[in-house]
Amino acid sequence: MTLMRYAEALNAALREEMQRDPSVFLFGEDVGRYGGVFKVSKGLRDEFGDARVRDTPISEQALTAMAVTAAMSGTKPVLEIMYADFLPLSLDALINQASVFSYLWEGQVDMPFVLRTQGGGGVGTGAQHAKSLDAMVCHIPGLKVVAPATPADAKGLLKSAIRDRQPVIFLEHKLLYNTRGEVPDGDDVLVPIGKAKVVVEGKHVSIFASSKMVIEAENAAKLLAEDGIEAEVIDLRTLRPLDLDAIRQSIAKTNHAVVVNEGWTFCGYASELSATIMEYCFDDLDAPVARVAMPDMAIPYSEPLEMAVLPNAVKIAAAARKALA
Amino acid sequence: MKNAPSTEELKDIHYKMVVTRELEEVLGAYAKEGKTRGPIHRCDGQEAVGVAACAALRTDDYVCTTHRGHHVYVGKGLSARGIIAEIFGRETGYCKGRGGHMLLGDVSTGMLGGNAIVGAGIPAATGMALSIQILKQDRVSMVVFGDGAAQTGICHEAMNMAGLWKLPVIFLLENNQYGLTVRQEVQSPVADLSIRAAGYDMPGEIVDGNDAEAVYRAVAVAAERARRGEGPSLIEAKTYRVKGFSTSDMGGYQSDEEMAPWLERDPIKLLSAKLTALVGADAVLAIEAEACAEVARAFEAALSDPFPTFEIHAPSAAYSETL
Amino acid sequence: MATPITAGAVAGEYMETLVIVEWRVGVGDTVAEGDVLLTIETAKAAVDVEAPCAGVVSAILAKAESEVPAAAVLCLIGTDLSDVDYDGPKVAEPTAVKTPGTTLVAQPVASFAAPQSPPTASPSGRVIASPAARRLARSAQLDLRMVHASSPSGRIKLRDVTGAMQSAVAGSSGAPVIVPNESGPLKVHRSGAAHGAPIFMIHGFASDAQSWYPLDRQLAKDHPVYRLDLPNHGASPKRPVGDFANLVREVREAFDALDLDGAHVIGHSLGGALALALADTRPRKVASLTLLAPGGLGPRIHGDFIKGIAGASRPESLEAWLKVMVNDARMIDAPFVKAAFAARSQPELRAAQRHMGETLFADGTQSFDLVAALHRLICPTRLVWGRKDKVLDWRDALQAPGHVGLHLLPDVGHVPQLEAPDLCLAIITSLIKSI
Repeated sequence: MTLMRYAEALNAALREEMQRDPSVFLFGEDVGRYGGVFKVSKGLRDEFGDARVRDTPISEQALTAMAVTAAMSGTKPVLEIMYADFLPLSLDALINQASVFSYLWEGQVDMPFVLRTQGGGGVGTGAQHAKSLDAMVCHIPGLKVVAPATPADAKGLLKSAIRDRQPVIFLEHKLLYNTRGEVPDGDDVLVPIGKAKVVVEGKHVSIFASSKMVIEAENAAKLLAEDGIEAEVIDLRTLRPLDLDAIRQSIAKTNHAVVVNEGWTFCGYASELSATIMEYCFDDLDAPVARVAMPDMAIPYSEPLEMAVLPNAVKIAAAARKALA
Repeated sequence: MKNAPSTEELKDIHYKMVVTRELEEVLGAYAKEGKTRGPIHRCDGQEAVGVAACAALRTDDYVCTTHRGHHVYVGKGLSARGIIAEIFGRETGYCKGRGGHMLLGDVSTGMLGGNAIVGAGIPAATGMALSIQILKQDRVSMVVFGDGAAQTGICHEAMNMAGLWKLPVIFLLENNQYGLTVRQEVQSPVADLSIRAAGYDMPGEIVDGNDAEAVYRAVAVAAERARRGEGPSLIEAKTYRVKGFSTSDMGGYQSDEEMAPWLERDPIKLLSAKLTALVGADAVLAIEAEACAEVARAFEAALSDPFPTFEIHAPSAAYSETL
Repeated sequence: MATPITAGAVAGEYMETLVIVEWRVGVGDTVAEGDVLLTIETAKAAVDVEAPCAGVVSAILAKAESEVPAAAVLCLIGTDLSDVDYDGPKVAEPTAVKTPGTTLVAQPVASFAAPQSPPTASPSGRVIASPAARRLARSAQLDLRMVHASSPSGRIKLRDVTGAMQSAVAGSSGAPVIVPNESGPLKVHRSGAAHGAPIFMIHGFASDAQSWYPLDRQLAKDHPVYRLDLPNHGASPKRPVGDFANLVREVREAFDALDLDGAHVIGHSLGGALALALADTRPRKVASLTLLAPGGLGPRIHGDFIKGIAGASRPESLEAWLKVMVNDARMIDAPFVKAAFAARSQPELRAAQRHMGETLFADGTQSFDLVAALHRLICPTRLVWGRKDKVLDWRDALQAPGHVGLHLLPDVGHVPQLEAPDLCLAIITSLIKSI
């Protein structure tokens, strides 16, 4: 085990996979000489050169489309889209290209590309640089979507994502890059895509979260414990394909579900979780599934305003108490 | 002359152009009878662009094309039978009936592939060129795109990166004068789109898109340049769309006067005359007869091929276990 | 030709109308035989109507929450969606739909609701309960209209159902009841002919000698009939019984005191286990043995039932548990419940039985094993068991040796003599005649 920051864990994953497989290359805005605006690709250009760690023009639309076809023609691109807010520019490549051709040309081509991006609010980046658009990418068939919460999962999932034969959207969170955690040593320690993890065990209410919301959920569990409520926190880790078994098992135990996502509420990822639980766990439910997500509005800039819209531990705990009431 | 097609190559190009034309005409007849599904975008009159350009490439070079790509499919070596089977939704089609005529892909011939999002082929070929450069392969990629696609934002993004990184990609602009019903001069302030090449530090050239030999030469030069690592080229092949946008096009916006000179300069007629001078009329007629016979056999076989059976696509599934 | 579905006998013969509570299937659904199609409300309670055959629901002819004639065709089950032809009237004409709420109040069961626990119902009259609460109530056969919602949401939750089940067990009188310790012999009721082969009957847990009606009336025509009241039951003394062996000793003493020769012993449930143990230890005195759903042949037993029925302090909670005993809930009508509750209105009796249940079936388990005794039997023996028994597992019967005759009755619950009295009588009389 090594104590690492989340950004360092990602960096280690990229370095190890680039060493392991010469067809892996990185491209994106500011990823080369500068090492990425969040320093995830720090030092990699020096080690692997300009061809494999490539600074690009500001061309998200074409970059994503190029990642799709580069992946179909022998390389394993890792594209960094600097902010999740820019994902709408990538959507044609994801929806009309990657999703379509992975089905139409199945058996003829693989599509092993990773699109890394980061979202989330809390530091005053404003309405165009703080969104969580998880639902938008999770809507697309043929893509896998992961959103790790810890350095260990960040490293293990990124390595799995790079080795996967399907496109993987890798969602990071700007407030997680500096968090620290123990990361298992070894080049082949992978975290499987499609497997959730119980991070706090409990029997009264299940809280499902991903990315930074896992930390909020863990804090909510501590608040609830003060009232004698034992919350179970499940870190989904992979948003698509979703680990339905883990959800079923937890709700069978607790009969109460709170679903958390930092994105918008309406038609959001929390809504999808809620629908899934209604559909597959209905008879286990002792209360309606509670969604804790962003209000349906643009994210304001001023600190008290931004804090008012972001989901947090207090809001999660309140939803859990209401479900249990 | 270097980069000129040999007589044998011209015979092959002529054969494939006739296959393409025959394919379009038989498909048109089926469409009229209501026996095709969805729209068909015919490339009559544009055969020289797709067929001759692909003839100048190798089998393992990549090609991307448009929703109007039958000439590229045939030119890159796809069988008429597999194309027809795909159009009629059969198991034996290139995409097992999943794609239809606009979205064919065949990795064995490097044809990746048709694309019905206007402009999407441009970054697609650029992405493959990026792969080729990173893997240091002796390959090129080519995109055949239209004057409509040339107006998309992604065209600029892709050409900019191709020029910037000297990617081995050929941008073959098949200027058939129309984006759906809108003439090119209503879509662009300049008549010759090839002048844009200067902005991306690549050569830009105009060729007669109805002259198969001219198309072949221009593409062969661009491919050599790309293989040498000198980067992309833009070739604007001027041609004309003689059969409307698609089988669902009501027409009425292309006048007979406008079309007459293009019909006179039909690419198959032009190449037929050139080949007759080289190998004699009998040999040319034999090529054409065999091409038509192949298409007839292909239709017969494809139409008796089985339909695919539906299966859920497990890799697209939203849950990590089977429900 | 589609099969028309009516409420049939479920509606009760004296019912003129019934109310459709809820459709559990929709048009186009494929159903298997036995699937629940809909829930109806009769004067007795909510009852599920099951599919008599497999097929596709090709038409639904009556709306939820409407009141229709008891004989109305409610839906059709055909071979496919287009199969809608059937013999009989084509459409169920709903009578005037009652004002929401009034139907509920009219239910006799609803009037049992304690004043402090108002029935939880929406303005539409539908009980609001969480899915998990509904599932538990269904499996415990607990009427949700009897359950008070503790949540501010007004929705009945799991905890409310488990609470209601526990209070059904513990009784609601509040004050703790001391288990009495009375002395004296067990009560034996004698009836019937002066002469003939004697019959000795042992009832089951939480029942009493009266429960043999009408079997004993018929048998009494030709035989002297002796019906035992177990300790803490009927007119017998109330006292701690100790373990099963101790209970066997008490029963044997009562039997020995009668000094019967060649007795035909009949036992039901716990009484069946005791009859078996009696025959095992008095082989020369027992001429034949009829065991109705006997205990002691396996560890499984419905633990909540034992607690619930012994402790039921209100007619409505007793009714819920009585329904667990039978396959056909219609057996448990209001007069039946009234009579059953009257027999156990004494808090002391309930407390004594609860204590006895906890002693004999600790951990919800039958810890006494009589399989070996069953194999040792030398007298002619019949084992009668309902395949829809929810209290004991009828498959335990399959351990019987070859010389024991098995009668495994379809569509019968834990009390064959109640649900199939004629058949039970025929089995017993032919057994006695064969001796």
